[in-house]
Amino acid sequence: MFRWLNGPGSVFRHPLPGSTNYLNAYDRNGRLHRAKGPSLEKTEQKREKDQDEDDDDEEVDEDGEIIPKKTQKIKEAKIVETKDGPPLPKENTEDLMPFPLNRQFRSQHVLSEELKDAIYERVMVEGQSVRNVSAVLGVEMNRVGAVVRLKALEKEWEKQGKPIAVSYAKAVLRMLPSTPYVPNDPITHESINDLPVHRATEIQIFHPVSESRHFTRRDAGRVFDRELKPAEDRVPHTELVQLQKWRHEGIISEERQRLQREKDSKDVQSRKVLERKRKEREAREIKKVETERSEFRFQDIRVESVGRNGRSQDGVGARYGVPHQDRKKGQIKIPRRVA
Amino acid sequence: MVLKIRLARFGKRNAPFYNIVVAQARTARNSLPLEVLGTYDPIPRPAPPPGDGKPIKEIKLDTARAKYWLGVGAQPSAPAWRLLSMIGLMEPKYSIQKMQQTEAEQRATRGADTSEGR
Repeated sequence: MFRWLNGPGSVFRHPLPGSTNYLNAYDRNGRLHRAKGPSLEKTEQKREKDQDEDDDDEEVDEDGEIIPKKTQKIKEAKIVETKDGPPLPKENTEDLMPFPLNRQFRSQHVLSEELKDAIYERVMVEGQSVRNVSAVLGVEMNRVGAVVRLKALEKEWEKQGKPIAVSYAKAVLRMLPSTPYVPNDPITHESINDLPVHRATEIQIFHPVSESRHFTRRDAGRVFDRELKPAEDRVPHTELVQLQKWRHEGIISEERQRLQREKDSKDVQSRKVLERKRKEREAREIKKVETERSEFRFQDIRVESVGRNGRSQDGVGARYGVPHQDRKKGQIKIPRRVA
Repeated sequence: MVLKIRLARFGKRNAPFYNIVVAQARTARNSLPLEVLGTYDPIPRPAPPPGDGKPIKEIKLDTARAKYWLGVGAQPSAPAWRLLSMIGLMEPKYSIQKMQQTEAEQRATRGADTSEGR
């Protein structure tokens, strides 16, 4: 043990700042793999090759991820050019194994503080849609929503003067690989257009179809479930699929951008119309009466909504003769959706 | 027998929630009513983020049915009366104007009495 502590393990006595400091990043003699010259270039080349392959795959699949991936490659190449001096190159995937014997487990990148700020800025200050921000920055829509919510909370706490563990967050972030924020050509943080698995597709179906029949993906979906839409309509970013379709049709990029902008503005318009309609309906159906202390909101409902036997789920009010289930085992009590 | 429009308390301890019901006057509070007209949530919820308005109490009510039951002689209990008067289905029992008026009248009569006494 002492041989290791005084030998190769001695590098960990003063951990490298801005690095994960995993065992795998060092060789048997305690030297950093990526600080060594020739082997490093080899790995870089290998990695670039890998990424080329990745790009080919992706160009067939979907748009949106392609552009950022390429930029990532370029950026890494830049680092390779400048790393002759003291600055170390970025950790590669080989270095990001926290457990040396588990080669499948790699540390995933987390969002850097600047990227989180940028996300908040774009959504809350500039008023961009979550979908748009997600596609541009390469961060999943759920994650964008979570970042915005938590940042808002943080800002509120700051306003209230509550203590925030900034130094703790900094220390933890310094030990994790993170995705930096590059304003002009953002790096893809994660795959944003993954197809969610539908319960109906968990089984195999052999469905014979006559050759003469025009059988599309839409029909295949219907075989699984009457409601199941094709994959291109179920992915989170359907607009990226549309973009790729336009690309296949041979529409030049300016034209594509114009079409995309048109579509965006149309979406915004329709959203505004929906919002206006919702407000009108609310004003029509909900009557507000202010008293000294609170505001009473009267919503008009239909008595018949309880159904024939008075026990329908859609009915208003506490049901009669229907016991509460909330003390039963296995009931989920945390809210499962945002109201 | 008299028909009442009244509140039936549901919900948990310290978290009241009422059904607004039409029921026979002499039946138990939470017994099966003739009809559930709506609900009343007496716990004020904070106003939505943009406005710093007053806290909100939600009421759901089938106004058409309420009007019908009032038309056939159903009598609202005091709390139900208060709610129904807010949307103009009943004459308010206590309004500030009315109370001020009666107070002024009382004062006037009292004043008259004392002057007569002299």
